[in-house]
Amino acid sequence: MEHSPVTTNPLIIMVINMTVVFIVLVSLIYLIKLIHFLDPTKEPEQKPEDGVAPGEPPLAVVKSAAPPPEPEPVDEGINPEVIAAISAAISAYGFSGQVKAVRIVNHESTPWSASAKFNNLKRK
Amino acid sequence: MEFFNAFVVSLQAVWNDSGFSAFTTGNGIMILVGLVLIYMAFVKEFEPLLLGPIAFGCILANFPNTGFFGEEMNVMKAINFGITNEIFPPLIFLGIGAMTDFSPLLARPSTLLLGAAAQIGVFVALGGAMLVGFSVHEAAAIGIIGGADGPTSIYLSTKLAPHLLGAIAVAAYSYMSLVPMIQPPIMKIMTTQAEREIVMKELRPVTKFERIVFPIVSTIFISLLLPPIAALLGCLMLGNLFRESGVTDRLSDTAQNSLINIVTIFLGTGTGMTMNAHDFLRADTLLIIGLGLVAFIGGTAGGVLFGKIMCKATGGAINPLIGSAGVSAVPMAARVSQLVGMKSKPGNYLLMHAMGPNVAGVIGTAVAAGTMLAMLK
Repeated sequence: MEHSPVTTNPLIIMVINMTVVFIVLVSLIYLIKLIHFLDPTKEPEQKPEDGVAPGEPPLAVVKSAAPPPEPEPVDEGINPEVIAAISAAISAYGFSGQVKAVRIVNHESTPWSASAKFNNLKRK
Repeated sequence: MEFFNAFVVSLQAVWNDSGFSAFTTGNGIMILVGLVLIYMAFVKEFEPLLLGPIAFGCILANFPNTGFFGEEMNVMKAINFGITNEIFPPLIFLGIGAMTDFSPLLARPSTLLLGAAAQIGVFVALGGAMLVGFSVHEAAAIGIIGGADGPTSIYLSTKLAPHLLGAIAVAAYSYMSLVPMIQPPIMKIMTTQAEREIVMKELRPVTKFERIVFPIVSTIFISLLLPPIAALLGCLMLGNLFRESGVTDRLSDTAQNSLINIVTIFLGTGTGMTMNAHDFLRADTLLIIGLGLVAFIGGTAGGVLFGKIMCKATGGAINPLIGSAGVSAVPMAARVSQLVGMKSKPGNYLLMHAMGPNVAGVIGTAVAAGTMLAMLK
């Protein structure tokens, strides 16, 4: 299919395209804000207590969560991307600190012992 | 004697019909290229799910006399039909939508700006391609490699420069697999240690209402504005709606597993089938691969630069490292932000924050493709 372009000047194409991309994505920002504003299921925002901004944890928690100097992450062994994903998942559950060691469970044992280990984990 | 003559004639017929009789040096080189790509995919594990089928398709495309590109319908021709008629890229987007969590984007919508800024790489490469002699249509198709979005690259090149599809697809997927090597040096050069150590505030919880309404509203808005990408974006958002609705688990499961796997095989093999010696063995291919790298570097730099601007504007609330995730490459680019952040400050989790610009990059690249299609028609 043969096209007849509006312009062949790369600078003009860039300016027009970047403008459109920004306009569309900025419009999406406002759409998202509008959806959030109209959301009937959202929980009412909590008022700040004792000078603590909403969404921020209380000061005591911040202090206790402040991590001590931590060692550099190890680059060898398990893929660092896997470590990153595990660390982020742990963080998402509210735990602070750094993953220092990841051990792969030995799958070479018999299926019976593997099943017993699994049952033990479930009981815990 | 009669037996001998028949034997010779039969042997001659077998030879004439065989691939060896029409085999060229170019076919040999392309089969070697296919073998190198297979090595990269299966041994080095560079995007094996896509590079594997692409590599094997490349080898298949360079066997003469197979009839793959003849008049009669066959499975390879059917696969090629799915690519040249833009059927497979939207179906891939359906699966990507079903696999992607939009919550980080909805929790911090300002990260959409990073997805927009990273598109600068597309246009830097477009300008570069025109400077070295490509037509505006070819340059647009080459530039979109910078979006780091394979399906969109294939989608745009089939519409604007179908003869470059093989080179563009290989460049796009190769660089996507090299994101962990290409991006970190640029991110480190462009940011200070203090900026890399910024710990971002936890994201607010996103309700189910927001996660369901966003794909619907954004599809209506973007499809009305840019109809040429309605199929791509519509499929992305439909897949996400399957995921978030909570009542279509079977459809979501199919979209993010069986369907995307089947379409990936077809898309990869079909893309590889476009890499025949006649179309691929040209100086243009090397230029496209070089320009693809420029596009990737430009996109990463654009995202990080805008991240620095947002960092300043918010008083240090945004870590500029998440800007590099504005190039699509979901979720690899976000993982790179996480890794670089973790190396600068152990315990600094940027993954979920980087998923916002990462998803925005997918939408931004689709919008850039739609705008170019609208402009260059």
